[in-house]
Amino acid sequence: MTPERMEEVSMSAEDEMFEALIAASGVPVRDDEKADLRNAYTSLMQLARRTRHAGRNWEVRTLPHFVPEPPEGAKD
Amino acid sequence: MSPDLPSIAEAGAAIRAGNLTSVDLTEHCLGRIATIDPEINAYHVVLATEAREAARNADNELQQGTDRGKLHGIPIALKDVFYWKGHKTTSNSRVMIDFEADEDATVITRLKEAGAVLLGQLNTYEFTFGGRPSREPPFPPALNPWNTARVTGGSSSGSAAAVAAGLCLGALGTDAGGSIRLPAAFNGIAGLKPTIGRVSAHGDMPLTYSFDCVGPMAWSTKDCAIMLQAIAGFDPRDTTSSRVPVADYVSGIDHGVAGLKIGMIRQFYTSDFASPSEIVEAIDNVGAVLAGLGAEVETVEVSPLIDWHAAGRVLVPAEAFAIHEDRLQTQWETYGRLARNRLMLGSLFRAVDYIQAQRRRTELLAELEAVLERCDVVVTTGTLTPTPPIDDTEPFPFIDVPTIGIPFNLTAHPCHVVRAGFFDDGMPIGAQIAGRHWDEATVLRVAHAFEMAAGLLERRPNLKR
Repeated sequence: MTPERMEEVSMSAEDEMFEALIAASGVPVRDDEKADLRNAYTSLMQLARRTRHAGRNWEVRTLPHFVPEPPEGAKD
Repeated sequence: MSPDLPSIAEAGAAIRAGNLTSVDLTEHCLGRIATIDPEINAYHVVLATEAREAARNADNELQQGTDRGKLHGIPIALKDVFYWKGHKTTSNSRVMIDFEADEDATVITRLKEAGAVLLGQLNTYEFTFGGRPSREPPFPPALNPWNTARVTGGSSSGSAAAVAAGLCLGALGTDAGGSIRLPAAFNGIAGLKPTIGRVSAHGDMPLTYSFDCVGPMAWSTKDCAIMLQAIAGFDPRDTTSSRVPVADYVSGIDHGVAGLKIGMIRQFYTSDFASPSEIVEAIDNVGAVLAGLGAEVETVEVSPLIDWHAAGRVLVPAEAFAIHEDRLQTQWETYGRLARNRLMLGSLFRAVDYIQAQRRRTELLAELEAVLERCDVVVTTGTLTPTPPIDDTEPFPFIDVPTIGIPFNLTAHPCHVVRAGFFDDGMPIGAQIAGRHWDEATVLRVAHAFEMAAGLLERRPNLKR
């Protein structure tokens, strides 16, 4: 597959994902506004990919962490 | 009285010396608001009658020997996002145009207890989402007092404009992605985003769940310290509020910076983003001035700004959409177009995107914590670009240009903006100074030392008087 064709396929998949997410939101977005959001979506997905990296240890947890307060008078 | 407003510290001293009354100071503010605010739209609502009554009470209390502290009798204004019993809180949205809380936000209670005179409610971007201002919400956008053809920055737009124009002595803002610090920088004032949990957010209309902070904005760092002292502290009504003891932010502010270690994050405004030379020179000069005062200054490196920006741009809209989901489904047309589309960005992520961004946040926090183990504070720019024009029409300017405030939202460190210089066209430049969790005192001390040594606070916007 040529790089151009790969890009076409990728954009098509991204279009489908975008439409599905907008539909799933349940929000009645107008078509002209959807166009602005579609343009932003490509940039947002690039940013979302930047938050990932290969080999990240599964001990890297999400923030904020939550640990319940110890009961009053509890010792270490 | 000088046409320009005194600082909070100066006004407090003059009131206690019997040279000024809260009534006179409040009238002076109200007069300036009547003359100047039609030009810059800083206020949504001016509460003149209540302010006059509060000022009279403040003067009477002092005459009778009751002194509530350094904010006693001082005119302060608040971003229109805080619950205020007896008043509507709109967040500049038609969605909330008739909303009236049945209690005061904790920060309003604390300001009242401190004897402050509350002048009114200040402009904000709709539902506090930053970017650029919109002309669709109920109230027109605040304009920058230094040049009304430029934006104030947001979302605490009215707070910054009101302080810069001398329409109050201090203001409260909120910050989930730079909403105190960016407008503080664009308007040449000081503004502090405290550590998350330091100031109660109870009664602050939320933008997010894991970033929202309430903080002071004022002409000088010392005035921010005085305001923080009054509003900081544990609040059982805010589940993110902390029991960490509140430090004394004011009495040690003059202790200087000799021996402190300062880390300059230069890469953010040089290699990660090519800021204009005026910004580079102004922020580098902050390091030079602090070094001249005896601090040990070094350049530090962290992950590229785009990585911090990426995590923030996933997390903030996703949390904001979760807050507004049901209203967007049923009241889409009631929101302003810009606000609803900014909020909709958060619907475009999958759960795994949000979780991976939170895990990236954990890694970035560890990086900055490592830097702050050897440095007392870090310094970087408050803005990456010149102040944009008010008529800019880009719907999502915060996606492709990195967000310089977001690193310290991600890590929850306290971060303060000070005036660091001016562009050739006269617009202000701000620097961010961030410190260790709960150590607002050192951040403010460093910022105050810079302000005193740099001598940049004399210049004021050229407004009609």
